[in-house]
Amino acid sequence: MGSVVVEQLRKDFSGVTVLQNIDLDIKEGEFFALLGPSGCGKTTTMRCIAGFESPTSGTIKIGNKDVAKLAPNERNCGMVFQSYALFPHMNVFDNVAYSLNIKELRKANLFKKIGVYTRMLNSKIVKYPKEIEKKVMDILEYVELTDHAKKLTSELSGGQQQRVALARALVMEPEVLLMDEPLSNLDLKLRHTMRNTIRRIQQDMKITTIFVTHDQEEAMSMADRIAVMKDGEILQIGTPTDLYSNPKTSFIADFVGTSNILPGKVVASENGLTTVKVGNQQIQSVTKTSKEDVQVIIRPENINVLSEGTEDTSNAFEGVIQFATYLGSTVRYDVKVGEHQIVVDTTYESGDSIKKNGSTIKLGVSPERVLII
Amino acid sequence: MNRLKQNFTGIGLVKLLIYGFFLLFLIIPLVSVFLVSFTNEPINVFGSLVSWEQMQISIDQFKNATIDNFKSIFSYGSYFKGLINSLKLSLIVSLWVLVICIPIAYGIARTKMPFKKTISALCTIPLVIPTFISAYAFIIMFGRAGWVTYIYEKLGGEGMLLDPYSMTGIAIVQIFFFFPYALWPMVAAFKISDVSLEEASRNMGSKGWLTFITVTFPLAIPGMLSTALVIFAVSFSDFGTPIILAPSDLNLIVVDAYREIAGFFNWGGAAILTVIMIAVAGVVYWLQNYLLKGKNYDTLSGKPKKIKLSENKALTIPLAIFSGFVVLIPILAMGTVFLQSIATTWGKDPLPSGYTLEHYRTIFTSSLGNIQNSLILAAGALILSVIIATFVSYFVVRQRSTTLDFMTTVPLIVPGIAFGIALIQTFNTAPLQLTGTAFILVIAYSIRRLPYMVRSTVGTMKAIKQDIEEAAVNLGATTLTAAITVIGPLMLPGIAAGSILVFVTVIKETSISILMAPAEWAPMSLAIFQNVMRAEYYSAAAMSVILVVMVLVLQALANKLSGGNKS
Repeated sequence: MGSVVVEQLRKDFSGVTVLQNIDLDIKEGEFFALLGPSGCGKTTTMRCIAGFESPTSGTIKIGNKDVAKLAPNERNCGMVFQSYALFPHMNVFDNVAYSLNIKELRKANLFKKIGVYTRMLNSKIVKYPKEIEKKVMDILEYVELTDHAKKLTSELSGGQQQRVALARALVMEPEVLLMDEPLSNLDLKLRHTMRNTIRRIQQDMKITTIFVTHDQEEAMSMADRIAVMKDGEILQIGTPTDLYSNPKTSFIADFVGTSNILPGKVVASENGLTTVKVGNQQIQSVTKTSKEDVQVIIRPENINVLSEGTEDTSNAFEGVIQFATYLGSTVRYDVKVGEHQIVVDTTYESGDSIKKNGSTIKLGVSPERVLII
Repeated sequence: MNRLKQNFTGIGLVKLLIYGFFLLFLIIPLVSVFLVSFTNEPINVFGSLVSWEQMQISIDQFKNATIDNFKSIFSYGSYFKGLINSLKLSLIVSLWVLVICIPIAYGIARTKMPFKKTISALCTIPLVIPTFISAYAFIIMFGRAGWVTYIYEKLGGEGMLLDPYSMTGIAIVQIFFFFPYALWPMVAAFKISDVSLEEASRNMGSKGWLTFITVTFPLAIPGMLSTALVIFAVSFSDFGTPIILAPSDLNLIVVDAYREIAGFFNWGGAAILTVIMIAVAGVVYWLQNYLLKGKNYDTLSGKPKKIKLSENKALTIPLAIFSGFVVLIPILAMGTVFLQSIATTWGKDPLPSGYTLEHYRTIFTSSLGNIQNSLILAAGALILSVIIATFVSYFVVRQRSTTLDFMTTVPLIVPGIAFGIALIQTFNTAPLQLTGTAFILVIAYSIRRLPYMVRSTVGTMKAIKQDIEEAAVNLGATTLTAAITVIGPLMLPGIAAGSILVFVTVIKETSISILMAPAEWAPMSLAIFQNVMRAEYYSAAAMSVILVVMVLVLQALANKLSGGNKS
C-alpha cells in the first residue's frame, strides 16, 4: 500500500491542454474521489497514474517512487474499469488468477513459461499451483463469488461482474486501487449495495483507493476526501463536509448538493456581518469579503419557513410558492422571491400540511448559513 | 523516452519484422519490376547490396537504361494491341455485366419474383468456381465436339454457335462467372435508394416504369458505376479464362506477359507489360474510390423506409425467367464438367456414351500428389497470413498504422500475374534465389490473399474493446503477453473465418500457380491447366470436380463460422 503524490501534472492531446496544474497528495490507505462532470479530465488523471497516458509534464509518485519510467504493466496499480473489462473467453477463476499467472511468468524459465502460457490459454490443460488456487479462492470468498468460480463472466449479473473486476484488481495486492466510474453500469439499488461493499473492502484492506465519478452523492458517501475537477483543473480538495459547507466556487456549491446561488452587491460590512443586496432584498452573512459583486449561496435545507406573525428578523423575506414536491421525509418548494427563483427544503412530519401553489410564504435564514463567494 | 522503450519491446520487434516482410516481398519486387522495364535485364537488387561488383553491374545496367520499351508499347506493336484488346474486353464485360445485373438486382431488391431465394442462392455458385475451370467447361460445351454444338447443328445451324476460342468466348465466360461480384452491390444500391422519393414521383402522377427510369435508376447510378469498375478490374486481372481460351492470334496483356516470361524469358518485355497492368489496375482502383467519395446519394434522405415489394406478375415473371436463364448457364457448365468426369467417352453427342468412376480412381492413384501439394501450400499460406494479418490488424486498429493499412491494400490492386512476374524477377539470382521454390510460392499466395484475411481480422479486432487489453496490461502483462493470452483468443473466430477464405482462394488461385509453381510442387490448379492444355479432358474434369467440392465445403464452413460469430 502506498501514498500517491501528483505534482504539477499537465497533459496535452495534440496541442490541446486537457489537464493542468494537477496537484494531489493522497495518503496511504485513503479513499480519494475525483469528482467532476464528464470531460473534466478526471479519467485522464487516473489514466496518467495507471500509466495508460504519459503526462506532458509533471511528476507522479506512487509509494514515494517516481513512476515516470515505469510502463503501465510495471506500476502495480489495480484498476477496475468502467466496463469492468473482464476477459470474456475466461471463467471467473481464470480472470482473477490472471495477474498471478503473470507474476509466475516473470520469474519462470522458458520451459515453465510455456506451461504458464498454456494455462492462461486453457486452464484445463495445465493446472494451477496450490498457492495461486488458494489466493484466488480466498479473494473470491471475500467478494462472495466462490460458487461462481467456474462460470464464464458473461453468465454473471452486473453486480457479480463488478465484484469479479474488483477481486481481479485486489488479488495482485496493488499499491493503489484505481476505480473508473465503477458503479455507473449498475441499477440504483445495486449501486447502493456496492457502495457499501467497496467501502467495507477498502477499509478492511486499508488500501489506498482513487475513485473517479461524476456522481456527487457517490463521492460524498464513500470518499475520505474529494477533489472536484472542472475543465482540466482541480477547483477544490477537501472532505465531503468541507466541500458541502465551504465550497470555494459557485460551481462546487451547485455540483456538490443543491444550492441557491444568487448574484448580489455588497452594500455594508460591519460588526462582522456583511450585508448584500440581492434584488430588492438585503441579506446578511458572517462571511467576509473584499469584493463588491458577489454570489450568495444558501443551501435549501438552511432556509426556514417562518410562521405567520413572526417578527421580521434581518434575514427574512417573502415569496410565492410556484411548485411543491413531496419527497417523503422532506418537502421541496420552488419559491419565487422578487425576480429570483429559489429552492427550499423543509422536513416533513406526518400530519403536516403541504402548502398550496400560489400561496405566500415567509422565509428566514441565519447569517451563519449564508455563504458569500 | 517511454516511446523509445516501447519500440524495443517484443511487439516493436514484431512490427519491424512485418515491415521487413512487406519491404522484401512486396515493395522491392514492385520497384524492381519498374526498373527492369527500363534496363531490359533483371537487376540483382540483393546482390548489389552485398557485393560491390554486383553493384557496379547494376549501375552499368542503369546507364544503359532506355525507354525503348515504353516506346514499343505505343508504336502499335503487339504489346499495344494486347493492351487495347484487354481494355476492350474489360469494357465489354463490365458493360454487359451491368446490363445483365440490373434486372436481376431489381428483381431481388424490389419485387416478389418467384423463386427469388433459389435464384439468390444459385447466384453465389459462379464465385466458387475458378475461371480456368469455367473456361474449360465452355470448351466442352461450345467446342467442336460440345453438346451445345450438337444441338445447334440438329436445329439446323452450321459450325459452332459461338467459338469459345475467341474474344467473344472469353467475354461470355467472364460475364456469366463474374456477374455475382456486381449483383450484390447493386441489390444493395436498389435497396438503399430512398423509396419515398419514388413514392413522391408516383404521387405526382408518374407511372411505374417512368418512375424507374427517372428516379430509381438515376439514384442507383453511382453504385452501379463503382461496381462496373470492380468488374472491369476483375476482368482485366483475370488470367484463368484468357490463358485457356485466347487463340494465338489474339493479344491480351495478361497472356502476353505470361508468354514473355514463361516462353521467351524476355525480362524487359514482361516487365513493361507488368508495369502497364499495375498502372491500369491502379487507375481503376483510384477511380472507384473517387466515385464512392464524390457522389454519395445513399445519405440523401435519412433512413430508408421499409420497401414495398412489387407483386406485379407482368413484371416479376419475366424477371424470374431472365434471372433463371442467367444462373442456369454457370450451372450447366459445372454440370457438363461433372458429366465429363464420370464419362467413359463423350463425343459429339448430347450425353456421354457410358459412365465410369475410372477418372477419379486415376486421380487418386496418380495425381494424389497434386491434391496434397495444394493442401500443403494452402496450409502454408494460411499459417503465414494468419500470423501476419493478426499482427497487422493489431497495428492498424490499435496503433492506427496507415502504412500497414496501405501495404495490405496493394496486393488487392496488383493483378496476380503482375505480382508473380515481379517476384520471379526479383528473386531470380543469388544471394536470394527463391524463384522456383515452394517457399516463394507460399509467400506469393499469402501476400495476394492477405487483404481478405486482414479485413476479417481487423473486423474482429475492432470489436474487442481497448480496455480489455488495458486490463491485461494493468494486471502486469506486457503488450505481447496481452496479445497472446487475451487478444489472440478473442480474435479466433475472425481468424478462423478469414483463414478458410485464404485456404479456399489459394486452392483456386490460377495465375500465381501456373506462373510460379515448380514441377515437384504442382498444385491441383496447375495440374488441371496442364491437363486441359494436353486435351486430357477427362482427368481435368475429375480434378476440377474435386477442387470445386473442396471449395464448396470449405466455403460453407467459413459461412457457418462467421455467421455463428455474429449471433
